Amino acid sequence: MIITRQISIRLALIVVVCVLVQISFLSYFAILGAQPEVVPVVVAAIGLLGGAVTGGVVGFATGLLLDAALLQTMGVSSLILLSVGYLAGRYREGFEIDSPVGPALVAGGLTLLAAAGFVALQMMLGVEAQVSGLIVREILMKGIIGFLLAYPLYPLIRFILRPALVLEDSPARRPLFRGRRSKLEPRRSRRMNTPGGVA
Amino acid sequence: MYRKDVRRRRTILVALIVLSLILLSIHFSEPRSGPLHAIQRAVATVLSPFEAIANQALKPARDLINWFDETFEARGKNEQLREDLEEANAALAQAQTALGENEEFREMLDLNQNELAGFDPPFEPVTGRIIVRSPTVTNATVGVNVGSGDGVEVDDPVVAGAGLVGRVADVTSGTAQVQLITDPRSSVSVKLVPDGPQGIVEPEVGDPDDLRLDFVSNDDEISEGQQLVTAGWSNEEYSSVYPYGIPIGEVTETTLGDENFQRITVRPYAEMRALQYVQVLTGGPERPGIDE
Repeated sequence: MIITRQISIRLALIVVVCVLVQISFLSYFAILGAQPEVVPVVVAAIGLLGGAVTGGVVGFATGLLLDAALLQTMGVSSLILLSVGYLAGRYREGFEIDSPVGPALVAGGLTLLAAAGFVALQMMLGVEAQVSGLIVREILMKGIIGFLLAYPLYPLIRFILRPALVLEDSPARRPLFRGRRSKLEPRRSRRMNTPGGVA
Repeated sequence: MYRKDVRRRRTILVALIVLSLILLSIHFSEPRSGPLHAIQRAVATVLSPFEAIANQALKPARDLINWFDETFEARGKNEQLREDLEEANAALAQAQTALGENEEFREMLDLNQNELAGFDPPFEPVTGRIIVRSPTVTNATVGVNVGSGDGVEVDDPVVAGAGLVGRVADVTSGTAQVQLITDPRSSVSVKLVPDGPQGIVEPEVGDPDDLRLDFVSNDDEISEGQQLVTAGWSNEEYSSVYPYGIPIGEVTETTLGDENFQRITVRPYAEMRALQYVQVLTGGPERPGIDE
């Protein structure tokens, strides 16, 4: 993703609108006990489109805004959401996204991880209340809702950031794990890897 | 080139993580009047008009979704009403919203005239509309559109018509953050009425509908349906944030605990997820350790 001033403004607008919609609208509803969370989905989508650095930075900024708007402990949401953006970006850098299921699965999985991460972090920060078994259902539901929300949101954010995505089909991706190869990575010939070998 | 990119990426990641941890540390270590809290309140103040606008702008959509939700339930109960309900969609949505709000206000008035009437000096209720809600599992907080400019202070009790909702945890000039009694950090000293024992009501993380009543001995006789009110304890140095006598909820289940205390489930009277308006109780009698 090429970050120009215009794209930065678009990213900032996406973040602000997303946070406002979350705290003023979506947090009022519960589906099977879980509030829909759009923030991790949007951060994951930006990470998937922009890469690890963009995802991490946007996640951090979104977390700061969320914590400030809700007068919550500063740094908690930043830490969780920067992880969401970074991991989504790493996925994008290692794997080709060639179907709508991929982003939805990544967004759903990262939403689930974010919900679990919030609970774990708050427990580490001194919440001493007992934990109900219902929390597992709530976290799972958040993941499922995130998966479903990603279907409309990922294409929407891709559309908004389209001018910055000129290099999205670049063949320069590296494998996420050793041994796994991105489909777009060019295959090296054995002869080129041989020391001193000349074609 | 690739290694340089990886180094840059990792440097940024580490820097952001360190920055988050620094923010966390400062937030916990500095007093409420510290610079980070001041910046946070400034950002919240700047955002609050946008939150209020977004809240109002999205209210019709919220009402519509609520209406569908209620209609879905009504269909299950009485299939014959379906056609009538469909014809009256828009009008009914508005009417139900208005009725719900009226009911909330009427209950608040009853609470003010009964349970809160005996304090000297009396509490001055400030009615606020909920404009934001925290989406996270472990933060049961809401933001209301009244703040220090309206006389709201940190630790003021917050009630709805049905009973206790929580307390003010932070305040800006135009907004206040309310920590609900279902927040994992909340604990309320309570008394079972009419002549039951006292205990501590705490939430269970992940269960927003029920509360747990702790420190009630296995020997005490507790019956289902018994009402809980705030205990409002006080000595010369410290006191509870909540004054005596605000209804909280009623006992729904009791079982003998493994240790000396019973395991008691309480259903709060206030429906935390359905709240639209709350009252912040400003002023009121002096509370040692709270009002300084």
